[in-house]
Amino acid sequence: MASKHHHTHADVPVVPDALSAEEAARLAFASDQTLTKHHFTEGEHPIVRIEHLNKSFDDTKVLRDVNLDVWPGEVVVVLGPSGSGKSTMLRCINLLETPTAGHILIEDQEITGQSKTDVNKLRREVGMVFQSFNLFPHLTAKQNVMIGQTKVLKRSKEEAEAEAIKQLTAVGLADRADFKPPQLSGGQQQRVAIARAVAMHPNVLLFDEPTSALDPELVRGVLDVIRDLAENSGMTMIVVTHEMDFAREVADRVVFMEEGVVVEQGVPEKVFDHPENARTAEFLGSIG
Amino acid sequence: MSINDATARPNEDGGTGVIGAMDTRLTWEGTVGDNEQVSSITLSLPEGATFDHSSTRITVLDGLNRTSIEGTATSADNSMSVQFSEDIPAGSLVRLEVTGMQFPAEGGDYVVSGSYTTADGQSHALDDSAAITVIANTPLQAAVSWLDAQPWVAAWNSNPFLGMFFKPQLLLASFASLFPGWLVCLGIVLICYPFAIVLGLAFAMLKTSRHKVLRAIAICYINLLRGTPLFLQIYIMFFGLPMVGINIDNNVLGVIVMAVNSSAYLAEIFRAGIQSIPQGQYEAAASLGMNGFQTMTSIILPQTVRRVIPTVTSDFITSYKDTSLLSSVGVMELMMFSKNLTTTSGNITPYMAAAIYYLIVTLPLIKVVGIIENNIARSERGGGPRPKRRAAADASDEVATAEQDLASSATVFHAEASKPAGDVFAALSAPFVSHPTVDLGGVADGE
Amino acid sequence: MKNSMSRRQFILAAGALAGSAVLAGCGGSSTSSSSASTDSSSASTSSSDDSYTLVKDGTLTVVAELGFAPFEYMDDKTGDPEGFDVDVIKAVADKMGLQCEYLPNQKFDTLVPLIKQGGKADVSIAAITITDVREESVDFSEPYLDSNQAIVALKGSAETRETLNDASKQVVCQGGTTGDDWITEKLPNATRVPVDDVTAALTGVQTGLYNAMVVDLPVAKYMLTNSFSDLEIVEEIATGEQYGIAVSKDNPNLTKAINKALEDIKSDGTMDSIETKWFGSTI
Repeated sequence: MASKHHHTHADVPVVPDALSAEEAARLAFASDQTLTKHHFTEGEHPIVRIEHLNKSFDDTKVLRDVNLDVWPGEVVVVLGPSGSGKSTMLRCINLLETPTAGHILIEDQEITGQSKTDVNKLRREVGMVFQSFNLFPHLTAKQNVMIGQTKVLKRSKEEAEAEAIKQLTAVGLADRADFKPPQLSGGQQQRVAIARAVAMHPNVLLFDEPTSALDPELVRGVLDVIRDLAENSGMTMIVVTHEMDFAREVADRVVFMEEGVVVEQGVPEKVFDHPENARTAEFLGSIG
Repeated sequence: MSINDATARPNEDGGTGVIGAMDTRLTWEGTVGDNEQVSSITLSLPEGATFDHSSTRITVLDGLNRTSIEGTATSADNSMSVQFSEDIPAGSLVRLEVTGMQFPAEGGDYVVSGSYTTADGQSHALDDSAAITVIANTPLQAAVSWLDAQPWVAAWNSNPFLGMFFKPQLLLASFASLFPGWLVCLGIVLICYPFAIVLGLAFAMLKTSRHKVLRAIAICYINLLRGTPLFLQIYIMFFGLPMVGINIDNNVLGVIVMAVNSSAYLAEIFRAGIQSIPQGQYEAAASLGMNGFQTMTSIILPQTVRRVIPTVTSDFITSYKDTSLLSSVGVMELMMFSKNLTTTSGNITPYMAAAIYYLIVTLPLIKVVGIIENNIARSERGGGPRPKRRAAADASDEVATAEQDLASSATVFHAEASKPAGDVFAALSAPFVSHPTVDLGGVADGE
Repeated sequence: MKNSMSRRQFILAAGALAGSAVLAGCGGSSTSSSSASTDSSSASTSSSDDSYTLVKDGTLTVVAELGFAPFEYMDDKTGDPEGFDVDVIKAVADKMGLQCEYLPNQKFDTLVPLIKQGGKADVSIAAITITDVREESVDFSEPYLDSNQAIVALKGSAETRETLNDASKQVVCQGGTTGDDWITEKLPNATRVPVDDVTAALTGVQTGLYNAMVVDLPVAKYMLTNSFSDLEIVEEIATGEQYGIAVSKDNPNLTKAINKALEDIKSDGTMDSIETKWFGSTI
């Protein structure tokens, strides 16, 4: 489902064309080296490139010229106050929102301005975990994990079922495979949602405030699952969250956004302990 | 004198047969020859028929005009004769309506024979009439006759209300005679409904489509049909189509009209149902890479179906009841049969029998709707937290409107909101429930 | 039912009260004044043996199916009942010293049950043929008009009484009429379709929905002349039936009073002039 917001504004920002893959990789490598714990390899290209991303809802500018590169296997945690545009950025990456201007490239392939079919193909590469879980209530936990595999990846039922059991086991819910979402707690539902996304083996996994809708006592279980994925799966992950401890522990890089702009980014120790920007310091202070 | 016609009035309760050994009316019609005047007529039936306790109405016509001639009738077992007060002129038409006579109990084909006397005193034989087919007593009629003889039935019927609305004999006869009409009702609604569902779904899709023209078509279709009475639509179709040269069997046309009418209501129900599915479901499907068709068929519609079952069932009940309107254009359904029976009996009881035939279907369905509603309300309340912040805010607004919409289109999903309706259901279905239908709030929760 | 009974009893009581206590001037309501005027003109007093009851004092309340021209129909503009029967019952009421008031239109097949039940209307005059079956439910006045039936079909349709007696043929009628009975008995094989409304039935014949209609001959003649010129009377059925005014069996004195009034309007020429007005000549 594409965005229901349509833009006919005359003041759509004019942005330069996307850089060539080589040029972009060179520039990103130069700027990101000191900002992330990621271990760069020879000739590596960023897996996600965001260039001059702009997004407006009617008259409100939500994203203003955002630039960000994410490297294969990197875990990026995006922080920022509510309304800073971090979720919108995430939703642009799998085109749940259509950018107003700018470029998003995945594996050096431009995804903005694609036909519908190509968008669906692209989305297989990018998994998403939602704040409100969005499990399919008419299907069991196992069926929730299977349906994308069978319908989209055309895996056989047996194959999909085996994968579903494997992923449910990984999130500790093998014994809940035949429960339907309404019979599960919020934390359990979110873990099923993670299993559902992971079972598609996406290159990039997006988490949109995965614990914000949970009761405090259920948050830990979900974070443990995400941490486990970050440490052991090698999957590229972009996580929007308010969990500071989690960010400090797990992130290769922390990105701080405010009012639609990336204000500051760097390795967690740097951003948390020695923020350069006053707003970052203020935000972290108020949270911490 | 020549015979024109002899017929007997059907005396089968709720049927068209002439039953032996029960009072009926024999109508005999003859024409006086050109060169004679008639002073008396005798009619005879085979052994076993009886004219005892009968009374006779005499009509003498010259062309279309009545001639005022009286007569005296005398009866003797299986024959009766009429002595006229004055001679009937040549060329006159004579009709004798003998009320309260009976044919032989065993049934069979009977001819009326007899003789007449002319003014000059000479007696002539009458030609035999065409045979009147009489059937032997039916078990139903026997049961009715048995009821006739019961003192408690007489006592019951002596109460003007009970006798008018719940006359046992007529109730029994009505059940038997309304049965084919009930089958027609059921047949029409059962055949029309699958078509209505398919049509309704198609128009729901059109109405939620992105294309303006398709949406406009759907809106016109739905609003025209929902904005006019079904009665009017029936009249237009039944009188209009033949006028433009399209002739379709009444029952088939009935099915078509009902299907088209229902489809408009179903389209709105489906539309509201589809729109009540949260935006997050579309997003989750999209994030897995499903295309629009896959999303619709494996995510949205299965959830919609569960949500709209109560409303659709209510609509089915409405359609089933609305088949009664087809009686106005001659479809032989339940109301048609009961109206006929009420007309011939001058009694309201056949309508009561019809009411029971309607309730046999509607009450269990109403009960089913209640059960499903409770289940859905229960499972929805166990359905996890709603999005709390951000973009979810406007999405959930949309959901709320869509749900309201759906609710107002017939029934309500949430137990809280369905309280008043629930009370009515409870009252109606009271004989069917072993426990109160009040929702005790047993929420299934995984934790 | 209970209600209407008690209402009737109430009116009886009110009549008695008015008859005896007008001078005392107690409870001076419109009821007592109108019943007083009734008393003076119709000799309906509590002491007299031939007293009758009325739903509404001083008024003859009439019910009919008002779609049966020329006998009764609603005037296009005013919506008031018009027709032969309307003029007859007005003349009758006039002779009885009563106002005449029509209830809203009722379906034909409910008229006899409605009079039988009582409480709503005093009489029904609606081209109702006097039959044995109806006489079991209500009393009839002396006949006021002779009538016959007709089979109506599309011009050139070649339908006859014989061709119509076939299961494939739909023969329409107004429910509960003698036409309805006639089809049942004389066309047992045809599919009989009783409907509420003569115009709907004839429209159905016109459009081919039904093969033919059986209806009272004067009505057929009137409707074909005025509205349905592409239909024709394919057969006149000499039934010689007679119309009567239906009155509740609980009210025999009203029947007597109406018979007296009918006799009066026949003898003083009123009936003849009404017949001439509606049928062009006396019948």
